[in-house]
Amino acid sequence: MQPQATSREKLVVAHPDRKAQRALQRLVGATLCPVEVVADLDALKRSVDATTIVVIDGALALSQAALHELPAQAWIAVPGEGSQAMDGGMVDQLLVAGWQHIVAHPMPILAEELLATVQKLIRADAFGLEKYVAWGAEVRSYVLADARERDTAVAALARDVVSVGLPERVGSLVSVIADELIANALYAAPVDAKGARFRSAEPRDAARPLAAHEGVTVRWATDARYLAIEVRDRWGTLAPATISGRLASSAKLATADAGMGLPLAYACCNQFVINVAPRAMTEVIALLDVRYKPTELGRSASFHTFVGTAP
Amino acid sequence: MTVVAGPPARITLVGRIDDSAGLGPIIATLPPGPVVIDTAGVTFVNSIGMRDWIRFLRALREPTHDHGIPTLENVADVLMTQMNLLAEVRGTLRIASFHAQYVCNTCGREDIPVIDAIAHAAQLADLIAPPSPCPECRSAMELADFPERYLSIFRP
Repeated sequence: MQPQATSREKLVVAHPDRKAQRALQRLVGATLCPVEVVADLDALKRSVDATTIVVIDGALALSQAALHELPAQAWIAVPGEGSQAMDGGMVDQLLVAGWQHIVAHPMPILAEELLATVQKLIRADAFGLEKYVAWGAEVRSYVLADARERDTAVAALARDVVSVGLPERVGSLVSVIADELIANALYAAPVDAKGARFRSAEPRDAARPLAAHEGVTVRWATDARYLAIEVRDRWGTLAPATISGRLASSAKLATADAGMGLPLAYACCNQFVINVAPRAMTEVIALLDVRYKPTELGRSASFHTFVGTAP
Repeated sequence: MTVVAGPPARITLVGRIDDSAGLGPIIATLPPGPVVIDTAGVTFVNSIGMRDWIRFLRALREPTHDHGIPTLENVADVLMTQMNLLAEVRGTLRIASFHAQYVCNTCGREDIPVIDAIAHAAQLADLIAPPSPCPECRSAMELADFPERYLSIFRP
């Protein structure tokens, strides 16, 4: 009997603590890719090449915040110690430095989130909320045929979420997240041939039938661990590299006059995932952890961006 | 939305503060003098609505309007969450009372009690959430969010 062929990607775990090294090695080892473990930046730099997926302790990452600019398939910052969430200030600093993968939460969320992130990278399969919820969870979707259906879709989503037994608090957060993500898809995503965002100044309450290439799809699902909300547009114009710094709470919202939509959606969730197929599709997935009290989770949300091919 | 001339003038906002809220014109209807705004009935605020709300508060503070610092009563949870995200809000208004998300660790109930921000001013300035009894089992409920996130608006 021949074992099934496995991926050629290399994973490197960089962490100064031996116990954390073991936990992370075991975790990403579930991908069946070879995992190398290093304890410091010098050893890490010797191990990394363009195909490597690096899982690195947040504090180690911050000691050289531009580290993520070195060639690698992905750099993923994780909390320093298994039972502790990443400090909110550390998340902010990593966002400002332009890190594209920041896991903010401790175990067991760390395990679920890290494995999904690594497998998305290995399989080059970025899109779809199904990667975050259990197999049995039913996915409900709404397709907007007109820009004015935003309110209806948001209200229906909030109502559905509460009707499955989730608290009003979650329904309220879902309303804000969905409204901002749909508004972003309707008014910020469309660009013309010159790259101008020609819908951005459009009245938000005006009717506008959505042609096929302007279609916006909203999907959601819950498995009693996570509530996942996914909003897709067919423009693929969100630039992931420019987003992270805007989400940091230190940069945030010094004034309400700055664009607040995505930072607000990020602030309302526990994991914020942006998937982009350039010029073809943008998908934003916001995950709310409905198992734990907010204070048992990281103070800041995790953040991930993926660039891939539209399904 | 209702406006009672006062003094102090009282504005009661209910429903959604969103793209179509149009709060600005309210100012022209107010007599000079202090203003109290009750937002207990606000159920939804999006980013465009928040921008409108902040501009409305800014305009109220303009010396030409002679309203001074506005006082907010029964601030809705949805507004508290978002105002705490905005650095510019801190120190620019007076909050007399607000709704906050609390959770009971004994029976799991979630509730949104009104917190008296004047009576608990010292605690709130230290980012300590006042205790609130669970309406179901009478155990002490606790704030369901990080104090440094939900109460930062009270930081001196």
